[in-house]
Amino acid sequence: MSADALSALGLSIRVAVVATLLNALLGIPLAYLLARRAFRWRALVDLLVTLPLVLPPTVTGYYLIVLLGRRGWLGAPVYALSGWSVAFTWWAAVIAATVMALPLLVRTARAAIESVDRELEKAAFTLGRSEWRTALEVTLPLARNGIIAGLVLAFARALGEFGATLMLAGNIPGKTTTVPLAIYTAVQTGEMGEAVVLVLALTVLSCLVLVLAGRLGARAA
Amino acid sequence: MSHRFSVEITKRLPGFTLDVAWTAGDGVAVLFGPSGAGKTLTLQCLAGLIRPDAGRIVVDDRVLFDAGAGVDLPPQQRHVGYVFQGYALFPHLTVGENVGFGLRDRPRPERARRVAEVVERLGLHGLEPRLPHELSGGQRQRVALGRALAIDPALLLLDEPLSALDAPLRRALRDELREILSGWGTAAVLVTHDFTEAYRLADRIIVYENGRVIQAAARAELLWQPASEAVARIMGLRNVLHGTVVKATPDRIQILWRGHTLEAVNSPTRSYLPPPESPIAFFIRPEYVRLIRKDRGAPDAAHHMNLMRGTVVGEADFGTVWSLRLRLDTQGAPAQGDFDLEVEVPHLVYEILEIERDRHWEFSIHRGSIHVLPT
Repeated sequence: MSADALSALGLSIRVAVVATLLNALLGIPLAYLLARRAFRWRALVDLLVTLPLVLPPTVTGYYLIVLLGRRGWLGAPVYALSGWSVAFTWWAAVIAATVMALPLLVRTARAAIESVDRELEKAAFTLGRSEWRTALEVTLPLARNGIIAGLVLAFARALGEFGATLMLAGNIPGKTTTVPLAIYTAVQTGEMGEAVVLVLALTVLSCLVLVLAGRLGARAA
Repeated sequence: MSHRFSVEITKRLPGFTLDVAWTAGDGVAVLFGPSGAGKTLTLQCLAGLIRPDAGRIVVDDRVLFDAGAGVDLPPQQRHVGYVFQGYALFPHLTVGENVGFGLRDRPRPERARRVAEVVERLGLHGLEPRLPHELSGGQRQRVALGRALAIDPALLLLDEPLSALDAPLRRALRDELREILSGWGTAAVLVTHDFTEAYRLADRIIVYENGRVIQAAARAELLWQPASEAVARIMGLRNVLHGTVVKATPDRIQILWRGHTLEAVNSPTRSYLPPPESPIAFFIRPEYVRLIRKDRGAPDAAHHMNLMRGTVVGEADFGTVWSLRLRLDTQGAPAQGDFDLEVEVPHLVYEILEIERDRHWEFSIHRGSIHVLPT
């Protein structure tokens, strides 16, 4: 395996792991709120979270540039203050992967949380538990399988992200070139050997994730 | 230890309004009525899981809810134990963890002691490490009870606690539940739509219909003096009949029914004096109708009152008793479709009298067995 291929593989794994952690941090509370609370902007939040699932990834990437690019709504003030922009850094790849993976986790985890019998939560309330403690001790443990499945999907999606990453992070070898981008580049430049190695690496990695997820699920059941 | 609680709730839902007020004290108060009458909704309001639109809930001088004063304690602070219809045991926690779930803020040794005590008293010893799905229906019920009782609730709520069980177990557990409740001495409110269950478990019965209370009484009073025809029907009483008042005095009422003038006892505690000619509802318990033996000579009018004659037009075997459908000899349409009275006789009587062969009978009803239903 070439140095470039190895660096792409390392970057991809790093991006997918961080994006999955961010997904867990953001997505599980979001899934809980969407499943259990009626709040004012719920329909809008639901729409925004789900949108990357149906939009072409390049369109999502475009919106991310509009939001976070050097001249973006959020990106411009940050750039003016610090002289730094997230665009074309490996963090951009993380953000793109996080946004693209979030709907998969949120939808799966939300369905799992919704299927937890509400009587169990009511029972916990009458036994003195706050809503917060009830979520931690009753609802989320019982939705565990669905949440794990959602995290696996999110990891797989983050690992394979292409369009939005290309838009926001670019394709800078050794810096933002993840495996899918490296495969694309290799095919474009006729380096079929390199492409096959990366394709196989990604396939094996995906299979490993699935097997691991199956093990976790079986133990939780 | 004497308990006293009062409930006053108004709650409007789409297509249904709950508007009830009742009080109860020591022992078990049963909310009895058909499905959809608002019984479970009342429990949820008591537990703080649903907020009423108006009203006041006071348990042992503690105000749990008072719309006027803006008091609405959250369920966590009400100290009310709730046994849910399907028990709602935490499936991922062991029996011991389920029972101890409400004791989290107590010091560990005290919690362990309390769990051990509850487990012992409910006969769950040795089951502590099991998960709920490894238990029988009866054990699950006891875990649910134990979990609710462990917190020493001011009030225990039970929503159809026996409905998750199959028939043979139901009967056994009904009696077991009765013993646990009386042994524990916690004031309890239990919901059921089964009258036998209500009668067996209750000290006081509150009859619900369509979001309202139509009678609240001690269980014996309810059994012998249902307040209205609606109550009688919800209780599933048979032979609820309609006649015309001939004459009413404080201790007797004469009723014209199907060509007979029946004499009934007026309730001494609740004299009901409808004017002559007014319609009146009454009921006759099928097991209190006396068939008159044909081998003992003519019936003595002083001994047998409300004499009538009729033919058996239908019968059903209920295992220990036969239910006979009698049609009177008098002209006119029968009172209940194709028959006038349902009569219940034990198997032995059915055989001795050879009812299978002999279908025409004279029978009498004691005046004390005709119960008037005020309108």
